[in-house]
Amino acid sequence: MYNLELDRLIQEIKKRNSKQVLIQLPDGLKKNSNEIVDFIETKTNAKAFIWFGSCFGACDLPLGLDILKIDLIVQWGHNKFNKEGW
Amino acid sequence: MTELLLIDAKWEDEIKLTKELREHLRKNKIKSVALFASVQFTNLDNFIKELEKNKIKVNITKAKRTNENMQVLGCDCYEDSFEENIIKNSEGVLYIGDGLFHPKALLLSQIKSKNFKPIIIFDPVVNQIKEINKKEIEKQIQKYKRNLKLFINSKTIGILVTIKPGQQYFNSAKNLKEKLKKQGKKSYIFIDNNLDINQLENYPFIQCWVNTACPRIGTDDILNIEKPLINIKEAFEPIKALEKLENEK
Repeated sequence: MYNLELDRLIQEIKKRNSKQVLIQLPDGLKKNSNEIVDFIETKTNAKAFIWFGSCFGACDLPLGLDILKIDLIVQWGHNKFNKEGW
Repeated sequence: MTELLLIDAKWEDEIKLTKELREHLRKNKIKSVALFASVQFTNLDNFIKELEKNKIKVNITKAKRTNENMQVLGCDCYEDSFEENIIKNSEGVLYIGDGLFHPKALLLSQIKSKNFKPIIIFDPVVNQIKEINKKEIEKQIQKYKRNLKLFINSKTIGILVTIKPGQQYFNSAKNLKEKLKKQGKKSYIFIDNNLDINQLENYPFIQCWVNTACPRIGTDDILNIEKPLINIKEAFEPIKALEKLENEK
C-alpha cells in the first residue's frame, strides 16, 4: 500500500490555517481524489478541490492559483525537485 | 501566495529480494548492480543487505535533480544526470518500481555508451521481473539522429517554452535564439503551459522545433511528430551531439 500520509496532511492544513486546498495527483491515484477531498473537508474547515490535468512531477505545478485564492497545493507521488541550469 | 506540500506516497510493505530475482541475477552472472528506484520505493535498506548477503555488490548514486540516493526521475535520461556513472561500473542495472517511464530514462542515459546495459525492472507491487534493452529505444535513437541532421540544415526554427516552473527555460530559449541568429538562422519562441504536439502543425513555416521543456518530449514524443524536433541540450552544439551518437555504433 502507498502511504498517502493523510494524517500529516490534516495537521499541515490546520497548522497553515489553509482555507482552500488544491490536491494534485498522478494518474494512478486520481481515482482516490474524491476520498481525499471528503477526508479533508470532514477533518478540517478547509474546502478542497481537485486538479483536473497533468501531474508529471514536482516540475509540473499548477500556476495562477492566487486568483482563485488557493492557499495550499498538495502534490502526491513526487518529492523536491532541483531544477537544472543551462 | 499559494504554498506547496509534496507527499512522496512511499510504498509501505517491505521490499524483499525474491527467489525469482535472485535466480535472475545469478543466471545473468551479475555480481554488481547499479540500483535505482522511483521515490515510492527508495526504502531499500533490507533489500540491499539481502543483495550483499548474496555476494552482489550494490552501487548507488544520486541523480542531480533528486533529493534521495537511488531515486531516478523520468528526466534523468542523460549520462550526466547522475553524480556518478555507476551504470558503467556495474555488471547489471536494477530498477525498483512500477511502470516503464523511469527505467526507460536509464536506457536513454546510455544512448552514447559503447557498453549498453539492459535494465532489470523489479516491480514490488506485484513481485514481477521484466527486462528492457536497447531494442526498446532503437527507433527513438534513429529518429533523433535524423532530427539532429535536419536541425543542422534548417533555416527557420521554432523554440518551445513551457510556463511550468520546473521545466521553464525561457532564458535558455532566448540565448539559443541569439546564437541561431549569429548562424544566419531565423527563430521564433512559442510559449504555452502543456506543450500539445498537435499544435505544431499550425505553424507550417517552422522547419525544425527545439524543445526546452521535459527532455522526454525530445526522446519519446518525437515518434509521433512528423516535423523534426530536438531538445535544447543538443541545440547549442548539434554537430557534436550527432558525432557522439554516430560514434556509439
